[in-house]
Amino acid sequence: MNTENDTQQWRFNLIGGLFAVLAILIVVQAVRIQFGPDADVFRKRGLSDEGEWRMIYPARGEIYDRWGHILAGNETVYEVGAELQYVENPETIAMTLSGILHTDYNDVFAAANQPVSYDPKHPAIYAVLADNITQQQKEQIETLAAGMKNQAPSRDKRIKLPSLRGLVFVPHLKRSYPEKELGSNILGFVNLEGQGYFGVEGKFNDLLAGTPQRVWVPLDPNRAAEIPKIPGGSSLVLTIDREIQANMEEVLDQAIKETGASGGTLAVMDPRNGELLAIATTPRMDLNQYQDYPKIFKGSTPFDKAISQAYEPGSVYKVLTMAAALDSGAVKPTTPFLDTGVFEIGGIYIYNWNSGAWGPQDMLGCMQHSLNVCLAWVASKMGPSKFYSYMQAFGIGHLTGIDLAGENPGRLKMPGDEDWYDADLGTNAFGQGVSATPVQMLMAVSSVANNGKMVAPHVLRSLIDKGRQYNTPVQVVGMPISAKTARTLTNMLATSLETEGSDAIVPGYRIAGKTGTAQIPTPSGYTSDVTNASFVGWGPVDDPRFIVYVWLEKPTTSIWGSVVAAPVFKQAVERLVVLMNLPPDDVRHQMANK
Amino acid sequence: MEKVKDFSQAYTQAPWRRQVQMLVVFLVLLVLGATVAAVYLNVSAEAVAMGHDVQIMQDDIDQLSRANADLETKLAYLTSEQTMKERADKMGFEPVQSDQIMYLKVQGYYSRQPINLAPASGPVLVKTTKLPPEYSESLVTWFKVNVVVPASLLAKVLP
Repeated sequence: MNTENDTQQWRFNLIGGLFAVLAILIVVQAVRIQFGPDADVFRKRGLSDEGEWRMIYPARGEIYDRWGHILAGNETVYEVGAELQYVENPETIAMTLSGILHTDYNDVFAAANQPVSYDPKHPAIYAVLADNITQQQKEQIETLAAGMKNQAPSRDKRIKLPSLRGLVFVPHLKRSYPEKELGSNILGFVNLEGQGYFGVEGKFNDLLAGTPQRVWVPLDPNRAAEIPKIPGGSSLVLTIDREIQANMEEVLDQAIKETGASGGTLAVMDPRNGELLAIATTPRMDLNQYQDYPKIFKGSTPFDKAISQAYEPGSVYKVLTMAAALDSGAVKPTTPFLDTGVFEIGGIYIYNWNSGAWGPQDMLGCMQHSLNVCLAWVASKMGPSKFYSYMQAFGIGHLTGIDLAGENPGRLKMPGDEDWYDADLGTNAFGQGVSATPVQMLMAVSSVANNGKMVAPHVLRSLIDKGRQYNTPVQVVGMPISAKTARTLTNMLATSLETEGSDAIVPGYRIAGKTGTAQIPTPSGYTSDVTNASFVGWGPVDDPRFIVYVWLEKPTTSIWGSVVAAPVFKQAVERLVVLMNLPPDDVRHQMANK
Repeated sequence: MEKVKDFSQAYTQAPWRRQVQMLVVFLVLLVLGATVAAVYLNVSAEAVAMGHDVQIMQDDIDQLSRANADLETKLAYLTSEQTMKERADKMGFEPVQSDQIMYLKVQGYYSRQPINLAPASGPVLVKTTKLPPEYSESLVTWFKVNVVVPASLLAKVLP
């Protein structure tokens, strides 16, 4: 009995011992894996399965016009990559991608054919083969891949069957411009790396793009709550009106064609609040084909001439000179002036545009006939101190602060500057020797159209961030002249247009405005046969809703602003009043009195 | 001494009973352990399944966001200024001239206003769910509010 018990005891002990040894071995192995020489390798492999580092680019914010039409949106494109451990036939991958996506065969082959490496210093697990492919291209590749998958396996193991195994498509968003060329100079563009250039895309790149972040994305379902949430970029609503923009571009293009001008700008602003309704310039480009930029904008051609190209504006500048003179009390509308056809200032002689003498005039006549001699006299009457003080108040020579990338401040030489001479006072008075951008001129003249209040031109109406809309407030940047001066000058300019029967007059609407014809400065002096033709005008005079600036560069059919630029203003306004629902003055007055 | 031995023998468990007791204790512990393990396994499996669902839903959200962006952009292409103009031309429409328009004054008509795509900025109202008092009220407070206060009010009213 005892012997039998002993035997059983021995067997139990043996089994117990075996299990104990087994348990100890498991523990030893666990410790060895944890702390042994290969511990790091195991740990890294484990970590690589636990999650992955991803660079997350938030969806770029959209850009809308003032009515909510998308001017810049996003569309899905795909990154094509290879998961190296699954790649069976890199030749097929390289050949397929070079055939469909026109990628370089050797580059793709080299990327897809590299051995898998988990070494953290030189990891090779995934290779990017191409990016920004369309849904259609993706489907083409997938169809091919499915066809190859269904083929019968070869008995000969040495034969590598065509296979696209290992190819993966990672979706992401890419910028898309549904309006293509429309307002391209305002919008700017985004390159493949997501960087915005020019216009709104350049100026608000950080806001639109959001903050790209390199984040750890856990693949472990237990850590799903740790999946990072990256907020998208802010969206922008512009002040631009798509319909007005399209119409202004059409008017400008037609004008350039008809006048043989080398380029042009046509900008429309609401003088009450500085909202730019349209900025049409040339050249323009289809923003979806932004790679054509160097072909279209050759040399130093600015992307948006309205803000980046300062030029000598010529006689449209007389609006500012006369505004300053009236406001300072140097002259009154009825102040007489005897035009002898020449005025000497700082050792040079100023002549009129036709080199003629216009005899007795008042200030209205000086503006109506655009007399350089008279305006030079007016400026001399003010003196340089007052004249330049007013010009600075109008913002000439300073950035307007417009919310578009690439603004040019222009140039206003001042007494005390090395290159300023006494004669400059006379020439500056009629817009020569001073340079400004069309948008600067719009801002300065807005003070005349808006009862003396000068408003900051801007294109951003609202910003939408985290589900909230933030509207930009109206910015009055100064009051360079009094309301009385503004009204007086507006009436003078309206009367002068009516008296001379200007081509800018729009039937039914009282408009104020001024033409400009500026000779172009060259290293050898001013040219006489090529000019910059301009027109600035606003209306309706008693309640201005628009201010329009026209600039035609080097027109060939006529060099005069009154001949080529004034009709463009008229065409623009004829369309504007319809698009802005502005009834003719008499109808408006009748309706107001009802 | 013999009595003591008898006494202790009388109260000593039989060997088989002690084995059964140990076995029962072991089995109870085993069942308890198994129950805990099963509950743990169940809970963690559910957590993993839910985590996996969250991952899938996150992917769905991303995919739907992209699909939304695609559709919005596609719609923008279909209603682009150029396309709409071409469609209008095909349908025989032509741009209206200013002298063809008749203006009417309509009382109460508000002209077209620029778009608002989101609520205006302002103080953010945080929505909070108020717990019913049953979850936070102590018994003493409940007694005061529902018994003592009404009783005192009643005492004041009654003659």
